[in-house]
Amino acid sequence: MSASTLKRTRRNPAPATKSEQGRGGSSIERQRRKLLVPFVGPAFLFYTVLFIVPSIAAVWISLNEWAGSGPMTFVGFKNYVKVFQDPLFVKSFGNTLLLLFVVGAAIFILAFAMTLVLRDMAAKKIARNVIFFPHLINALVFGILAGFIFNPGGMVNSLLKPLGVTEPPAWLAQDNIFPLIMATMVLTTTGYFTTIIMAGVDRIPPYFYEDCALAGATALQRLRYVILPLTWDVFGTCAVLWTISSVKIFEIIWVFGGSSGAGLPPTQTWSVAVYTYVTAFSGMSTPAYGAATASAIISLALVTVLVVLLRRAMRRDAIEF
Amino acid sequence: MSTKSRIVRTLAVLAGASMALTACGGGGTADSSSGAKDGGTVTYWSMWKVGEAQQKVLASAIADFEKETGNKVDVQWQGRTNTKKIIPALNTNNVPDIIDGSNANLDIALGSTGQALPMTDAYNTEIDGKKLSELIPAKFAAVSNIKGKDGQPWMVPYSLTSDGIWFNAEKSPDLVTNPPASWDDFISLLDKEKAAGQTPIAADGDIAGYNAYWFVSSLIHSEGPGSFNKIATDKTGASWDSPAVLDAAKKVQQLVDGKYLIDGYNASKWPAQQQAWATGGADLLFNGSWIPTETGTYAAPGFKYASFAFPSVASQPSMARADFTGFAIPKNAKNPAIAQKLAAFLMNKKNQDDMGTVAKVLPVRADAAISPELTAVKKNIDDAKEIYLGNDGVSAPGYLEKNFNPTDDLLFLGKIDAGEFVSKMKAETIAYWKAQG
Repeated sequence: MSASTLKRTRRNPAPATKSEQGRGGSSIERQRRKLLVPFVGPAFLFYTVLFIVPSIAAVWISLNEWAGSGPMTFVGFKNYVKVFQDPLFVKSFGNTLLLLFVVGAAIFILAFAMTLVLRDMAAKKIARNVIFFPHLINALVFGILAGFIFNPGGMVNSLLKPLGVTEPPAWLAQDNIFPLIMATMVLTTTGYFTTIIMAGVDRIPPYFYEDCALAGATALQRLRYVILPLTWDVFGTCAVLWTISSVKIFEIIWVFGGSSGAGLPPTQTWSVAVYTYVTAFSGMSTPAYGAATASAIISLALVTVLVVLLRRAMRRDAIEF
Repeated sequence: MSTKSRIVRTLAVLAGASMALTACGGGGTADSSSGAKDGGTVTYWSMWKVGEAQQKVLASAIADFEKETGNKVDVQWQGRTNTKKIIPALNTNNVPDIIDGSNANLDIALGSTGQALPMTDAYNTEIDGKKLSELIPAKFAAVSNIKGKDGQPWMVPYSLTSDGIWFNAEKSPDLVTNPPASWDDFISLLDKEKAAGQTPIAADGDIAGYNAYWFVSSLIHSEGPGSFNKIATDKTGASWDSPAVLDAAKKVQQLVDGKYLIDGYNASKWPAQQQAWATGGADLLFNGSWIPTETGTYAAPGFKYASFAFPSVASQPSMARADFTGFAIPKNAKNPAIAQKLAAFLMNKKNQDDMGTVAKVLPVRADAAISPELTAVKKNIDDAKEIYLGNDGVSAPGYLEKNFNPTDDLLFLGKIDAGEFVSKMKAETIAYWKAQG
């Protein structure tokens, strides 16, 4: 069997079907069209009520000054101006971009490196499970673990003491927490994307690898000419998934600094999501729902733009095999 | 079967399903109102969770209330998020009749937005032969932010938290009888402890709110209650230039420069340092009145909790910090009359004693019993001529979280000095108010 046979059958449906469609569709098609409303209708209704209407409401709230209850004052785009003029928002926005691009790059480089190793490895199933495991653990655990490991009297310093390190670095100092969070994100997320990309890699028929072996290709050449082109759509989906989830990163930051959620994390670590939450729900001052939703709308816009750009950049003719 | 009938059937199934869902929703409400035959039912969103000491005290008090009045209380033990949940709920029909929380949280959720009902009826209720308004010390009621625009208090406080500089009386018994009377006394005490090879002060530097105690207390003790609120709300920022502000910041810097603070206070996760303190790793801890209960489980054997007040300044009247925990009733509550009764009932002597001795918090009634650990804190409050709120009642949106606390952290964690702190805060305050418009 060859790839081209498959391609032909998928792209060129049987001529019989084609002629029937010309006469207003097959009976299956007609049935389908009739069931569209009862089947899609409820989902569409729920989606509108639970997602689209609240989103529109959020846009409206972001144009007002509002403490969450009581009177609303229309202020136009003032909240957006206010948010963009706030150095803390700019800092939080920068952190979100760091998470998106730096952590994202680290994750995908590692994930592809691992797919190269994992394919030929003995006991690869166990290895895959081990890599995936950190993703299953609640972020709260990492927040608390960080204390155990990095506190002044914690594990790392206790291990360093016998080695003669009497003045260890201040691991959990405010400026060090964000790099620690980034490292934790890489640790917990790499396995997840490795698993998805591996599923794509497993679909590649073995004879491509045999070809590579015969041609004397190195592992990197194999990645460049076989694995990347044939898993491009999987990789594209992963990139979109990561973009969406990275802009929403919240709980790991929340629990890492500021006493595992009892206080606020230091501002050096804030992402846009944390900024939004604190603005509306810190519980320490009058909530500013207008500014908070403005910040949320900005991150929604960021995701939308990035996803559209990504889809454009990643667009390739799908290679079918 | 024709396509038409199939569509009809599909729609019928969907309609049936949605009706079943509606029925479920309706069932819940019917249940909660069915027990109302003796009196009314009030819904209470509690800030306590099942198992907490305060929850146990309140639950037994509520049981007494139900028995005595024939009313029913539908309690939801929600925990501290209750004051966050109520804000969106206020725009719906699902509003509790009564809610409790700290004055700061309730002020944000209800008080400052005019969504709270005046508690006049509760204050006029007679309890143990006296009107409730007479049982709550006047100086508490004088604290402005539990009063609405109409001058009526919208909150009935049932307990309060305060602060103190905590120590182990077993180890330092002389501090019980002879606490430092001034800031200089306090510094010489720290020097003495340091000279003796001890760590003077423990602090969890990752909790910005705790770090802020030092600057805010220094300022308020030298300039009086309201002084921090004044500089925070000064749109011109000019009040930050006052020498007294710099002086308060210098006191904080003095703690850092003097190396009185426990090693690693700037790079640890709460509660590491208060644990270190409770197990003898440091002598003093400036923290809230909840410390004996919070650290009780891991304190060294024989640890005897005692505290002294933040050093006073001779020219100022005696003062104490008090943050209230109490009840409030939303304006659109369905059963406000019973809710007022409930709030008043929970202030009877027995419940207030239980708050003090079982829950080990500070009750609001001056005649209520307390646990021995809180003796000094209670005496400080009783003696105080003036009461001030935590963070001096500053509640401007985001000011503490985004401007003051991060800058104060830099000072307390030793990254900037007092002068830099003052000029940075001045700039932050001006920018903040400019952005508020």
